[in-house]
Amino acid sequence: MTDTTRANKRIGLVLSAVPGYSETFFTNKISGLQAHGFEVQLFVTDQSGVIPDVLDCRVQTAPFFKGSAFRVLCTSSWVLLKTILCQPVRSFRHFQLDRSVGFSFSASVKRLIKNAFLLEESLDWLHFGFGMLAVGREHVATAIQARMAVSFRGFDLYLSPLKHPNCYDLLFTKNVQYHVLSEEMKGDLQANGVLESAITVITPAIDVTFFNSKPNTTELEGNSKVQLITVARLHWKKGLEYTLEALAVLRQAGVDFHYSIIGTGEERERLVFAAHQLGIIDAVTFMGQLPPEAVREQLAKSDIYLQYSIQEGFCNAVLEAQAMGLLCVVSDAEGLQENVLHQETGWVVAKRQPQLLAKQLVEVIQLSADDKEATSIRAIRRIRDDFNLKKQQAAFLAFYNT
Amino acid sequence: MKTSLKIAIYSGEIPSTTFIERLISGLVGSGASVLIFGILREKPRYSSGVTVVGYQLNRFAKFWHLARYTLLLTLFKRGDKKRFDVYLQQQQKTDLYTKVKCYPVLWHRPDVFHLQWAKGLADWVWVQDFGMKLVVSLRGAHINYSPIADTALAAMYREYFPKVDGFHAVSEAIGLEAQTYGAHPEAIHVVYSGLPASEMEAEMEAGIEPVVKPKNLPAKPFQIVSVGRPHWKKGYTYALDACKLLKEKGTLFEYTIIGGAHVVDYQYQIVDLELDNEVRLLSQKPFNEVQRLILNADLLLLSSVEEGIANVVLEAMALGTLVLSTDCGGMDEVIHDGETGFLVPIRDAQALADAIIAITSLPTAAALKIKKQAQLKIKEQHSEALMTSGMMRLYEGLFVGS
Repeated sequence: MTDTTRANKRIGLVLSAVPGYSETFFTNKISGLQAHGFEVQLFVTDQSGVIPDVLDCRVQTAPFFKGSAFRVLCTSSWVLLKTILCQPVRSFRHFQLDRSVGFSFSASVKRLIKNAFLLEESLDWLHFGFGMLAVGREHVATAIQARMAVSFRGFDLYLSPLKHPNCYDLLFTKNVQYHVLSEEMKGDLQANGVLESAITVITPAIDVTFFNSKPNTTELEGNSKVQLITVARLHWKKGLEYTLEALAVLRQAGVDFHYSIIGTGEERERLVFAAHQLGIIDAVTFMGQLPPEAVREQLAKSDIYLQYSIQEGFCNAVLEAQAMGLLCVVSDAEGLQENVLHQETGWVVAKRQPQLLAKQLVEVIQLSADDKEATSIRAIRRIRDDFNLKKQQAAFLAFYNT
Repeated sequence: MKTSLKIAIYSGEIPSTTFIERLISGLVGSGASVLIFGILREKPRYSSGVTVVGYQLNRFAKFWHLARYTLLLTLFKRGDKKRFDVYLQQQQKTDLYTKVKCYPVLWHRPDVFHLQWAKGLADWVWVQDFGMKLVVSLRGAHINYSPIADTALAAMYREYFPKVDGFHAVSEAIGLEAQTYGAHPEAIHVVYSGLPASEMEAEMEAGIEPVVKPKNLPAKPFQIVSVGRPHWKKGYTYALDACKLLKEKGTLFEYTIIGGAHVVDYQYQIVDLELDNEVRLLSQKPFNEVQRLILNADLLLLSSVEEGIANVVLEAMALGTLVLSTDCGGMDEVIHDGETGFLVPIRDAQALADAIIAITSLPTAAALKIKKQAQLKIKEQHSEALMTSGMMRLYEGLFVGS
């Protein structure tokens, strides 16, 4: 239903690419805002892609500054001329703001060229979907007289500054409303000097009508093979090598299991070799990427969900597994500790310690059916109550109405 | 037996890696005439015994290269060209790049075609149909883990390994691994990598000095160094986990990874484990600088999960620096635990930390003995002269009785 009192609010959302159908976070957010009368304008910095039909919004793509030096020169000159002629006040303001914080003349011109495509629209909010997208664009919102918002994911907050030291120094001096995924991230942002009042925690959410199952009451003891599963990109930050080491310990303890990993990525060779070298390759299946229906089907066949990540903002996959009634064992990486409540809705194990993970898994496997069911029910209830899409949409409405 | 062999060394690029370049110079010194095919990355600087048949990586150079050898073959070896073109059609490899690569080899027709990287074997089995002997080097990743993760590659090895005339194995261990893909044991020749005589003499001499200098003083951190590209097979995550254990035990140390700079997973692990003051990541260094850093270190650490035989270990042993290595690949063929260095199991941070602690308290006389034994081992097993004579025996053996 449209909330007519908000019909005049226009939000510009800056992303690196148009969100695909499966990227529920952005698609849900956009459709939720539209349903409440907000007008959403997408700005895409890297590639255009295809806009999902469900998202009825305009897309503005950044100019392409790659190719030969001559081509880059021509594109840059055209963009600069166009923005000076079409948006003289905003362009001048952007330039002046950059100069006022010490950027040289040429650097300020370059930043103006890079950001010119963002100066064309009149917006109430300019919201950068990732922290790194706001780097180099710290003055755009002020230049167009919009409010500025920045969402931080785990990768942005914890890994990007290692690769680009001090990259957020200028951003953190600006009047920005921040959206983070967890209380842990909020604390870490505060440690960087950001005021508590400028930070809003809005956790990820899932479609609880899609990921919906009965509580887990499977008897895991005895001769039955324990079905373990993880849904993750094959990336170092997912801690899958440590997971495999823990499973090698589990096998030494005499536990009969099968482990399925759903996902693809650059670390496949590393992980297949690790499973081989650890002597558990016969008990591990690398399933590759699967569509949501197939993921749900695999979750429904599994007993325990593992997410032993090294670094994790929050993790939707763990929410989905809990909603499906799986017993979840996760690491204590950042937001995971809030995603799963230790010994209440699952189990949290210190990261990078495969021996501890194996010990915890043995304990979970040996739990009574009643204890398992109780944990599973608590997890399902909490996900349905606290991590549903409706609640997330309401949180974003409140965010933009601050 | 042929008196003067014409040997093609093929790695695809000119110049190639250090150890392949050492092989080339060694073979020329033994009186063989060497042909090198491939892409010219730099202007070649070889002695008179080397014929370079290369092309630069641009369309014009490739076209000229192809046109030249097409013309030569058409004019003077029409029958061979026709037969080879039929073969390419049968294999559905009629693309121009294949011809750019293969026509020059068909024209020069060396006695031995020595392929350095086994993954490319399917492209070169045809040389045997034209009277050339096919030799394949068995090196690290190509044998030890790639075919485990890549079933198509494993199938290709199983099809062609039984047909290869000779294998150059960089260690006994990798030779055994190749047999699992059907390589005939009698075709496998272990020829260890060799250090040049001039460098080894200088290194041996220089290596005496750090042996007698005072070490392990309480106030001086124990200096540990690793050298290598930032690849997962180097096992640096285990080395860093071991550093955390060392710190918890109160061991005073500094750990340097040469070649590990700007790698975000290492950077994150260092921050995560609070090792900022103990660990430093350096970018890749010139050979002499690496040698200096190894010479100044108390311990060279090889934390790999897979290796043929790591050259950096040979260098360190020759320099008189203690080596702690994981027991992977052929490392136990050069390091005998407690005699020429120290060995610990793979994927075991605790074992690494325990070994380092034990090494820090090693009496000077015991350390000196191990260093001398290590230097002797290198001299007896890893000289360039031995490598060259071993390779020549391999090549000449292919023609015995013919």
